[in-house]
Amino acid sequence: MGKYDVLKAKGVSRRDFMKLMAVTTAALGLPAAIAPQAAKAVGEALAKPPVIWLSGMECTGCTTSTISTINPSAAELILDTLSIRYHEVIMAGTGETAEQAYAETLAEGNFILVVEGSTPPNEEKDDYCIVAGKPFRKTLLEAAEKAEAIIAVGSCACDGAGIPGASDITQAVGVRELLKANGIATPVINLPCCPVKSQTVIGTIVYYLTFKQVPELDSQGRPLVYYGGLLHDNCPRRGRFEAGQFLEDWNDPEQKDYCLLLKGCKGPKTYTDCASVWFNDNANFCLNAGSPCSGCSEAGFYSKFNPLYEKNDDFHVPGVVGQISPDLIGAGVGAVAAGYLAFSTAGNVARGRIGKKSKEHGGDE
Amino acid sequence: MAQKVVIDPITRIEGHLRVEVEVENGVVTDAHIIGKMFRGLEPLLTGRDPRDASYVVERVCGVCAGSHGWTSALALDEAYGAEVPAGGRIIRNLILGAMWLHDHPLHFYHLSALDYLDIMAVARYQGGDAGLLAVKDKIVSLVNANDTAPLTPRYAPDEYSVNDPELVTTAVAHYLKALEMQAKARKMSALFAGKQPHQSSIVVGGVTILPKLEVVNQYASMLEEQISFIEDIYFPDVITFGTGPLLPLAQSDIGTGYGHFLSVGAFDRADNRQDPFFKPGLILDGNLANVLPFDEQKVTEDVTYGWYQNGQAQHPYTGDSTPDLSKPDAYTYVKAPRYDGKPLEVGPLARMLVMKPEGLMDLVAKHNMKLGAVARHAARAYETVMLAQEMRNWVEALKQEMSSGHFRIHDTDHWNAPNEGKGAGLAEAPRGALGHWIWVKNRKIANYQMVVPTTWNFSPRDESGVLGPAEKALIGTPVPDIENPINVARVLRSYDPCLACAIHLISPDTNEVRKFRI
Repeated sequence: MGKYDVLKAKGVSRRDFMKLMAVTTAALGLPAAIAPQAAKAVGEALAKPPVIWLSGMECTGCTTSTISTINPSAAELILDTLSIRYHEVIMAGTGETAEQAYAETLAEGNFILVVEGSTPPNEEKDDYCIVAGKPFRKTLLEAAEKAEAIIAVGSCACDGAGIPGASDITQAVGVRELLKANGIATPVINLPCCPVKSQTVIGTIVYYLTFKQVPELDSQGRPLVYYGGLLHDNCPRRGRFEAGQFLEDWNDPEQKDYCLLLKGCKGPKTYTDCASVWFNDNANFCLNAGSPCSGCSEAGFYSKFNPLYEKNDDFHVPGVVGQISPDLIGAGVGAVAAGYLAFSTAGNVARGRIGKKSKEHGGDE
Repeated sequence: MAQKVVIDPITRIEGHLRVEVEVENGVVTDAHIIGKMFRGLEPLLTGRDPRDASYVVERVCGVCAGSHGWTSALALDEAYGAEVPAGGRIIRNLILGAMWLHDHPLHFYHLSALDYLDIMAVARYQGGDAGLLAVKDKIVSLVNANDTAPLTPRYAPDEYSVNDPELVTTAVAHYLKALEMQAKARKMSALFAGKQPHQSSIVVGGVTILPKLEVVNQYASMLEEQISFIEDIYFPDVITFGTGPLLPLAQSDIGTGYGHFLSVGAFDRADNRQDPFFKPGLILDGNLANVLPFDEQKVTEDVTYGWYQNGQAQHPYTGDSTPDLSKPDAYTYVKAPRYDGKPLEVGPLARMLVMKPEGLMDLVAKHNMKLGAVARHAARAYETVMLAQEMRNWVEALKQEMSSGHFRIHDTDHWNAPNEGKGAGLAEAPRGALGHWIWVKNRKIANYQMVVPTTWNFSPRDESGVLGPAEKALIGTPVPDIENPINVARVLRSYDPCLACAIHLISPDTNEVRKFRI
């Protein structure tokens, strides 16, 4: 007999059950010193809309990224910030209890749906993702219809064109596309990046709970507060770009902080806050590690952005009429960069300068 | 009459798994392990710039982050003829080493421990430790509120459940500490990796990060914090449980397999793929004294029972991952890798049996442990201590390289794709032997295949009807109560597939599905 069966037999309500689950997590997941806080958190959690977190065709990286948070701690995140009613990877319950928790949260309504991973687009492709003997696509549609709002975490959930979706075989899609094809109007907040940052997930959910509304979104459904700025404009290496200094040899200390454009950086067409909000408790991010941006926050990653390490793409530069071709850059970098500077709006340049915060990161242990 | 127990979905893993066992007279007599999700990463790579592979395949798994990017880069290094300089090699090791320190304790505390703990024992704690008393107070308040049900064990406590109050309360306290340490270990890795999961730093020819000394020092100090946790808390806990209340399980045959073990070795300590810290080697039929050399040419993948287009068992260079959902006998998306036709177990136990460190072998001998579920946990903890201590040497080696005047992290001369080339990347992931094979033609990827630890351990039958290693290990597992097949879960979890189980019972007569929790 499952735990919830036992509870039901005792006449314990769903709400009591959830409270107990939260307290259970407190007993298992929090230092003793903050036990009173945990009790308070339980009360607060019950006042918040519940969260259902569904995982489809994914790698679990967005979950592990989210719970890699140190400030706040993973335990605080689960207890004090979120009221997670269903999450296959981190919830205490499994099997029937998990499925019942899901079904009852669904019936209650007024929950936030978080989706990780892409989904088969139609019945024909359903066999590529079966969870608990049921097509994942159907579970997602069912939950999406009843959700108050949907948060798609990671590039796969956002437009499906992430890593699994790029395969012609599965033709996996993201949440927005699936909902559009099925006439479901529930608002979707897209939080791409591969993986999503814990700060972005936590911030978005807290924003929603506080203001009870979807933050202002761009055309790809991303909150402007996180994805409104072009990486290139805020890049710590921006000055190097403008000076025409491009990294060609990772071994050369002189080139260590040079622009990564010739190594394939997609920063000039990638909207993300990566330059100012770093991964893993602000330990690092790709560019700071000498790696070119792969454009993982943009729809079309990875298929639109490959080859990753080639300056293969023409790209539009804000404020410049026409395009800079990578061949041009290879030939006469300094001149083109200087030209860009001349054409840049004052705002862009200012943002680029203000965005340099590298001194505040790393080295904080 | 045999009864069929279906476990689906197996949660807390990357991807979706299903296990079906038949139980007769209280023991498992047959087992099928079933993979239920296909993403198509290998076909996706065909025709791409080969350098993209190490970045793309990193996305296979967000749990054992780094392992796929690293192994892919090793395959690319070979195909490109790249010689990774010492700095690049050491930084790769440090990126991955930190992730192992993340993975192993997490597996013990957060994925496995609840299989063995009777949580309600906390209420009977009589000691004086303030922290443990606070844990007890919380439990007692639930008991007083008559609200104990969610804390009752997920299965009726059985002969292998630990119910000593002090042990259980301590384990709960350490569970909390481990939650914090896993996030810190990821951060440690990210200092060189860019981010974790899905590091960006490892590329063909080396790494992209030219580290600052202050970051190396930060890594070193975080390593000391991890070592303290591993030596003082994690390893003693595993040994306390394994040689204490779980000794009867350790001495039983539960979860023992074919006795075929493989390690491909990992963490090279010298250039040109020399002197790996974990040694490669092959053990067949339980003959531990005879460690054979491993020849990757003998690896084949059989798809007789996989939802893939049929064909001869192939070496991964020529293997194919095109799905075929119409095959009547197929039951999984997992292929069946075989070595010279044999199914091999991979993972910490395999690595430790190949190396036979004295401390662990003495422990196994002294307590007469069988090579089953508990031995896998013990081997995992033992190698974590070994690795963590060794990582101190790598930090020092990196500092020496940095001050040598010829510090290099990347083979820039081999950054562009060869017209044609083949490469095999072999390394150990926390869960076991990992292989990536790439075939470059016309400067593009002509074929890319991976054989991952879970594919070895959780493979289906092959064309000869030979069961996969974990399928075999399940045979004979006691299930005295068909509604409480916790031993099946214990055996599966000992391989670290990251799973917690929900059981669906199917009556063979009515095909009615009845679900219950374990």
